[in-house]
Amino acid sequence: MVNELREAAGKLLDDGKVDLVIGWAKGSLPLASTPVFISSSDEADQLVFDSTCGNNLTVYFTKDNKKISRDRKKVGIFVKGCDSRSLVLNITEKQLKREDVTIIGVPCSGVIDTRKVRRKAEGREVLEYSQDGDTVTIKGKEFELSVPLEELLSNACLSCLRKDAEEYDLFIGEPRKFSGESDPYSDIEEYENLSADERWERMNEEYSKCIRCYACRNVCPSCYCNVCFVDQNDPQWIGKTPEITDTMIFHIIRNLHIAGRCVECGACERACPMDIRLLYLNRKVAKEVRERFGSDTGTDLDQKPAMADFREDENQDFIMG
Amino acid sequence: MSEWQPKILAILCNWCSYAGADLAGVSRMQYPPNVRVVRIPCSGRVDPLMILKGLQSGFDGVLVSGCHPGDCHYISGNFVARRRFAVLKPLLEFVGVEPDRVQFSWISAGEGERFAQVVTKVTEDIRKIGPAKRLVKGA
Amino acid sequence: MGSKRNSVLIVGAGIAGIQAALDLAEMGVEVHLVEDTPTIGGRMPQLDKTFPTNDCSMCILSPKMSECARHPGIQIHILSNLKNVSGKPGRFKCTILERAKYVDPVKCVACGLCEDKCPVKIEDTFDVGLRTRKAISRYFLQSIPAEYTIDKDKCLYLTKGVCRICEKTCEAGAINYEDKDREVELEVGAIILAAGIDPFDPIGFGHFGYHRYPDVVTSLEFERMLSASGPMGGHVVRASNGKEPKKLAFIQCVGSRDEGIDRNYCSSACCMFAIKQSIIAKEHIKDLDSSIFYMDIRAFGKDFDKYYEKAEKQYGVKFKRSKVADIIETPEGKLRLRYTLEKGTTQYEEFDMVVLSIGLQAREANQRLSEDLDIRLNEFGFCRSERFSPLMTSREGVFVCGAMNGPKDIPESVVSASGAVANAVRFLDLERQGLPTADESIPEKNVIGQRPRIGVFVCHCGINIAGVVDVKDVAEYAGTLENVEHTEDVMYACSTDCLDTIKKRIEEHDLNRVVVAACTPRTHEPLFRETINEAGLNPYLFEMANIRDQCSWAHMDQPELATIKSKDLVEMGVAKSRGLQPLERLPIEIDPKALVIGGGLSGMTSALSLADAGHQVYLIEKEDELGGNLRNIFFNFDDKDPQVFLGDLIKKVSRHKMIEVLKGAEIEDISGYIGNYKTSLKAGSGKEGRLLDHGVVIVATGGEEHKTEEYLLGKSSRIVTQVEFERMLHEKDFPAGKLKNVVMIQCVGSREEGRMYCSRICCSKAVKNALELKKVKSKTNVYFAYRDIRTYGFSEKYYTELRDEGTVFLRYTPDSKPVVELIDEDVTDSRARVTVFDPIMDRDVVIDADLVVLATAIDAPEKNEELAKKLKVPLNADGMFLEAHVKLRPVDFATEGVFLCGLAHSPKDMDESQAQAKAAASRALTFLNRKAVLAEGTICQVMTDRCSGCSYCESICAYSAIEVDPEKLVAVVNEALCKGCGACVASCRCGALDLRGFTNQQMYSVFDSLDLVITEKVGD
Repeated sequence: MVNELREAAGKLLDDGKVDLVIGWAKGSLPLASTPVFISSSDEADQLVFDSTCGNNLTVYFTKDNKKISRDRKKVGIFVKGCDSRSLVLNITEKQLKREDVTIIGVPCSGVIDTRKVRRKAEGREVLEYSQDGDTVTIKGKEFELSVPLEELLSNACLSCLRKDAEEYDLFIGEPRKFSGESDPYSDIEEYENLSADERWERMNEEYSKCIRCYACRNVCPSCYCNVCFVDQNDPQWIGKTPEITDTMIFHIIRNLHIAGRCVECGACERACPMDIRLLYLNRKVAKEVRERFGSDTGTDLDQKPAMADFREDENQDFIMG
Repeated sequence: MSEWQPKILAILCNWCSYAGADLAGVSRMQYPPNVRVVRIPCSGRVDPLMILKGLQSGFDGVLVSGCHPGDCHYISGNFVARRRFAVLKPLLEFVGVEPDRVQFSWISAGEGERFAQVVTKVTEDIRKIGPAKRLVKGA
Repeated sequence: MGSKRNSVLIVGAGIAGIQAALDLAEMGVEVHLVEDTPTIGGRMPQLDKTFPTNDCSMCILSPKMSECARHPGIQIHILSNLKNVSGKPGRFKCTILERAKYVDPVKCVACGLCEDKCPVKIEDTFDVGLRTRKAISRYFLQSIPAEYTIDKDKCLYLTKGVCRICEKTCEAGAINYEDKDREVELEVGAIILAAGIDPFDPIGFGHFGYHRYPDVVTSLEFERMLSASGPMGGHVVRASNGKEPKKLAFIQCVGSRDEGIDRNYCSSACCMFAIKQSIIAKEHIKDLDSSIFYMDIRAFGKDFDKYYEKAEKQYGVKFKRSKVADIIETPEGKLRLRYTLEKGTTQYEEFDMVVLSIGLQAREANQRLSEDLDIRLNEFGFCRSERFSPLMTSREGVFVCGAMNGPKDIPESVVSASGAVANAVRFLDLERQGLPTADESIPEKNVIGQRPRIGVFVCHCGINIAGVVDVKDVAEYAGTLENVEHTEDVMYACSTDCLDTIKKRIEEHDLNRVVVAACTPRTHEPLFRETINEAGLNPYLFEMANIRDQCSWAHMDQPELATIKSKDLVEMGVAKSRGLQPLERLPIEIDPKALVIGGGLSGMTSALSLADAGHQVYLIEKEDELGGNLRNIFFNFDDKDPQVFLGDLIKKVSRHKMIEVLKGAEIEDISGYIGNYKTSLKAGSGKEGRLLDHGVVIVATGGEEHKTEEYLLGKSSRIVTQVEFERMLHEKDFPAGKLKNVVMIQCVGSREEGRMYCSRICCSKAVKNALELKKVKSKTNVYFAYRDIRTYGFSEKYYTELRDEGTVFLRYTPDSKPVVELIDEDVTDSRARVTVFDPIMDRDVVIDADLVVLATAIDAPEKNEELAKKLKVPLNADGMFLEAHVKLRPVDFATEGVFLCGLAHSPKDMDESQAQAKAAASRALTFLNRKAVLAEGTICQVMTDRCSGCSYCESICAYSAIEVDPEKLVAVVNEALCKGCGACVASCRCGALDLRGFTNQQMYSVFDSLDLVITEKVGD
């Protein structure tokens, strides 16, 4: 597959269809591949794709590198299922134009959470990581482990229903279609069934770990405000203290700001240095958005993002009777 | 003697709910003196940050009220607001904020009595759950 | 010309009168609004909800009422009647009689103490007798003007010389028993009659037991019961036992469609009224079982049929086609209805409550007006107007609107009112208005950058506030707040002397913000803003705390808590006022030219009205000929030839020096906004492209005949549409041979999946053509296959006439439609065999027809979509243009400066199209007749460096007032269009947007102002 991927990138560049391809390359550390920008076919052999390619490359269109799209460069980009949803969302949010980007889908079997790998390695340094189908081999100085991939996957990937891109120009291999769903939010429902006191306590416990480093925000493909609300001071709606009320409100508002925009890629959770189960809130919001507005983020180029839209006959069960 | 009195923030749209509050007043309908009304042009103006700020400041409850669906003076501001609240409310409950702490209603300019009823109900609901502690600054 | 007056007298201040007054006043015309009752508002305030959107009637009306009361160009004369008119159009001399009010409107603060104390109870006509009021009273709680008046026939002092309690109670000293009736002479250029309509009084209908059985009520009484502010507070209960009804019946056509009582017309609104009430009642009482007993359901308006369907499918309302014979109360207190089904069988059913859907009838007062003003009435006592001049009376310069010349619902009344205005301006000395000039003698103080210096004035409102709230304590407390430089308690903040005090204090203390703690800003803010402006402060540097409606009146028994709450509200007001900034209302220049899109009846009528008022009009028509659908209409009930009318109209339009007709034109692009539009026309086929500058747009793109092959249309020359049939009648070009049987099939394409609306005109059109056919072929048998006969209004009598001619009416349902078969498949002019199931005889009727005439639906042109995108205006689900508000802004779009009329809005008849076209012209004139308009002050602003260009604001804005610049990729507000709702602001997660006057910083300060946590919670 890697060969196909390199060939495809090379051909796009050679044919002049794109000036630049964004993809993944092997990183200096074994567990994390690194984003790479390829501008000629000679460099295409750097490209790789495996379960260490967690980075959502669409951030290069929205974050500080917005100029990539604003310079009207023609860009090719490799996407997993979640990445393609980001891309679609960003197009509906006018951050880039569909015609300016060549989307290359890659078949995704999930990306790993390095913490889970380290846990398996019981703290020993991992020097080599290789994947063969559903099995992963981890090697260190004095050990070698063979682990089913599933045990290492990021939480977000475990509940992922749309693994492959649905919007693409090329696809490496055969894309799997959205396969319907069982009950993707059963964990959220379980949590909902707890008492308010219990939920408050658990959330408190979880979020009191937060050190307000904003890694979750910085890595999020949907967070691209020039100045984040938390850094605004006219007014300073919420404090920057680590006091639980400030922390909690930060996370509540952050989740409202990505309502109908979160593609559930799990980047935030993987980036969190304090290991906070951030996805709980994301997925709760995503569940409401899907159930109430019938909107699946980033799956339809012609649909307005959920929070930029409304229907007159919407469920309003939360309004006092 | 010093029975605890909840203080409740009521954010009302100018054209319907605030007018409903006026009608309740003109009709001399009596309701608990616990709400503090803030007038805004439209429920569409309500940013969740306002509600959270209200809670953080120590209001024991927040009521937001706009025009009934279809009545919006600004055509669709209340529909936009409704979608926003439809996410905010479950999310607040999810993190453990008591469901009655933040409430939403539609009250028209002709519903003075309903305004009084809504305020009475919200006040009673909040009296039942007690002073706000969650998300309150310094609590 | 110079002798014309620039003033208009309007009789009647219901919704039609109000609309006409506002339109005229906006054009700079002086308006005298003469109203018989003590308030403006008419019938609408009595309504709870309005169909088909279930809008709250008061919510939508009250802004218009206040606007009317506030407008400097409108003088309201309550308790007044027009007595006499002399002189000529352009310069009428009118005498009005203003009856004594006995309360000085300047002094009265509408506190209501007098009514509390007045010992005399009288019937409350506003609540149709369901509750009582006092001899001194306010007509209803939101009446405007907000004044109390004394009923001189009931007042003890005025009748018997004793009492004077109100005089003693009134703190404001407003009672004046010496008040006298007076006559006022006015000179006006034109007169608009909008005197309204009356509900039918069913007291003579003994068989329905009205007034005999307490649970038989009229629809108007039922409406008051449903109303949240009504006598029952919205809790419907049976008068007989105080319990909620479980079974409810509506009887339709009580006083309508009844030749026996000289009412051979349809009241047009009652079907929808009953459907609405059945829906609302169901929302009030969960398990309510409602039945509507009817002859035909006439849901002919825009989106009405969907509402009808919703009632049936979603709310489970039962529709029973039948004729109710009588009602008898059973010993158990139930009401037993005896009714006859279509088939002729008699049935009985018991109900808890029966609502009589009473019709609408001409007011008795019309007779007197007709004599005093020398205008003609029609056979039913309504003001008479003709089909091709639907808003004119028989007297030149006197126009009619609203329901006075025939039953109308609210939007039609509004349309006719604006339309009448367009007619009236021809007789006025209309002058293009400049911007209202600010009083140059008081230059505005520059307060930007100054530390806030706030003055707080706390009002006693006599004892209304001070009787409960410790006003002095509140004022003192205000003095302790940061930035408050002056505080004072005043007796009546709105009294002239107090307003002077406020101005004096602004000078003395160099105040730059003012807070008044008194009543509601909804009524009093404009007055105070004006006051501080007179003292040199920008009017937006003002804030109110409502301590009357929200404190003293709402917590009468808890004075301490009411006082604490008042302090909090004042503190919040002060917090908000700190952030107030002077705001400007930007002038937007108006290019006085108009673009009218569509050269049919509507477009031409609009263009002519605008051109007659002196404005340049570009009239563009996609075809090479003017006339539109009217070219296919040859007959009219009134015997006037539509083609002659059309010819005259085209001549007038083509020859008018202010109209440029552009035929065969296609729009390339439209850009701009109110006052400043640019439209480019495509070049091609020998035409050069054009770029037109104009200030407003009127959309009159018309409708199209539905294309179909249903019922074998097109398979035989003997199967034709009503349009083709009309031409056939006109040209007397019938199919060869005898015309023994003609079958007309209604609702072809209408009222079914994909086109769930009534095309409105087809029933009348078919009836008209059938009558024409009878004129030339009296022996022809006409069979009429229909679903509901919808000959609303005065067309009903033609339906009756056709029935009397012996026409066979066969009702069909959508699941057993008529079947048409060709008798001889091999010829192109085959006769057709039509099979219709007749529910009356309960069997199929088979007719060998010499001609089958199909009433095909009216479709929205497909091109609407493209135009809608160019104009940034919405379409409804059926592809028709969607107005700003279906009730009160029927010809406006939400986007200012764009208007609509005719079939582009929805199917309608010629007279209705003309009225609407004139209305669109009139609404356009409210802009064109001004050199510039002022944008709102409280509008959205963008902090460009924060904007990420995500365009959520653009998606959300209902006014197309904010857009992302495609080059710079940041949002840009069009200040001319922004209405200041703030929906975009709260949707902007980047914090790039803010709302002037309600800024984030201000809102934050308000929420942060009260020290809620640190202080001890308030004790009792």
